[in-house]
Amino acid sequence: MVMTGDATPAIRVERLAKRYGRVEALKNVSFDVREGEIMGFLGLNGAGKTTTIRILLDLVRPTAGRAFVFGLDCHTRGLDARARIGYLPGELGFYGDMTGEATLAVLARLSGRAIDMRLQRELLDRLELSPRDLRRRVREYSTGMKRKLGIVQAFQADPPLLILDEPTEGLDPLMQEAVYQLLSDTRRRGRTVFMSSHVLPEVERVCDRIGLVRQGELVLASPVDEVRRLAARSVRVLFNEDVQSSGAAWPEGCEVLELAPRAWSLRVHGALGPLVAMVSSMPVQDIEVREPRLEDVVKRYYRDEAAS
Amino acid sequence: MLVLVGHSLRRIRAALIVLGLLLAAFQFLLTQVAAYLMRQNAFGQLAELMPDFVRTAAGPSALGFMSYTGIVALGYFHPVIITALVGLMIAIATEPAGEVETRFVDLTLARPLRRLDVIARTLVVLVLAGGLMLALMVAGTWTGLTCCAPAQAERPSFGLVLSLAFSLATVMACWGGVALAIGSAARRRAVAGAVAGALALAAYLLDYLGRAWEPAFSMSRLSPFHYFEPMTLVMGQAFDARDAAMLLAIALAGTVAGCVTFSRRDI
Repeated sequence: MVMTGDATPAIRVERLAKRYGRVEALKNVSFDVREGEIMGFLGLNGAGKTTTIRILLDLVRPTAGRAFVFGLDCHTRGLDARARIGYLPGELGFYGDMTGEATLAVLARLSGRAIDMRLQRELLDRLELSPRDLRRRVREYSTGMKRKLGIVQAFQADPPLLILDEPTEGLDPLMQEAVYQLLSDTRRRGRTVFMSSHVLPEVERVCDRIGLVRQGELVLASPVDEVRRLAARSVRVLFNEDVQSSGAAWPEGCEVLELAPRAWSLRVHGALGPLVAMVSSMPVQDIEVREPRLEDVVKRYYRDEAAS
Repeated sequence: MLVLVGHSLRRIRAALIVLGLLLAAFQFLLTQVAAYLMRQNAFGQLAELMPDFVRTAAGPSALGFMSYTGIVALGYFHPVIITALVGLMIAIATEPAGEVETRFVDLTLARPLRRLDVIARTLVVLVLAGGLMLALMVAGTWTGLTCCAPAQAERPSFGLVLSLAFSLATVMACWGGVALAIGSAARRRAVAGAVAGALALAAYLLDYLGRAWEPAFSMSRLSPFHYFEPMTLVMGQAFDARDAAMLLAIALAGTVAGCVTFSRRDI
């Protein structure tokens, strides 16, 4: 993902590498995240997502390369960098014997930024955490409630950059919807979000761009629309009467899946024009086009990884 | 950092209060036992009951122990007290490992907080908790001496009680430092605590062996407990600053090792 223009990116990762003994968790990873965008960071388990996130937070030190947050080196200027970050970990390490209220209060005091209580209240309302819930000990919380508390602690200081590790894991569909809305509002207010997720429809819905890591390497980094275009569209041409393929060459990018007398199933990479031109002289009843989904592309990369 | 200190103290306050009161009660109880033995004129009989080999091994300190001051001072070197206080130091000093294990540290260090703040917090809590325990012990002793000492008893001076408490503080600091070094490198608190506890036990036994068996004496110099000599204070000797310096040096080395390790490690 290459920066355009001179603006300082919210996140810049340069040739990042991390080795744990013999295992190479990250290999030469570089990308930028522009200010004000939501970037989804995808990959199978163990691909290197969490390692990258932890390097940004200076919890893990890279073997090589550097990471920056708003131009600040995450290691040498870690304090300044982290003052601009709200972080939701994948595994929430709350103390079970503390109440939700006390947990938020301690973490708010550590955030280094003044907490706008109105914003905190709004977050709690959106995520349906009542004052009564907050007075309960965290050990009594369900997985979803802990995740909601985690989201509130990440957002409550209104940081310019949010790093979210699986933000909707454990949430019910209604709460997932509330989080998507929250992310959308956050972007509207000019905040940047860098999130990892396994839920591809969620990424497709909320993210502007994705970065895909596979076995420690960044193999794809593009706007979601462009990634979607990498996949072929499924096209089904229905005829009024039996037809036979003329034997003429298929337009470039057309892949035949099935040719029945009254229905052709095809996969088309690129523009549909040549195919439409080809069938224009035939008794076409209808053309069904299914737009490609992000999932189709990403799963292909996942399958390649699994195969390798 | 103060937020972290407050957070840690709040989490252990109940344990601190209970342990502190128990220790104070124990010290107070010892003053009552000493007073009872004094009134019964039983110190001499106790000395006679002591087996010869014990008297030989313990040397003149055995007689020093069989006195009003000796019994009162016992609370500052009794194995149970040492175990409780060293255990408390180990429990507190391994908090960084506990926070890594529970992932609470992910939430704190993802904020503008230095890693050294986590260690400094632990040090402050060690000092405050240790200081509170010793203060309550001294208060227990002093209350007992003030209210219930027999008139004819040769009461230990306040200076002696403070010296005994300081001597115990150096041992606590030493093991706090060692546990901090271990806890800063570990990923699991139980493992860090077990390693530090096992080291302390081995060191205690090594020192005991060195005192009881001449050939092991030189080996026992490796044990920090070798430099903990409270009975010499009871016997009226001056406080040995070299022993205290040795224990504090170990504490300092452990702390520095803990700082360096925690600053450099992956979390």
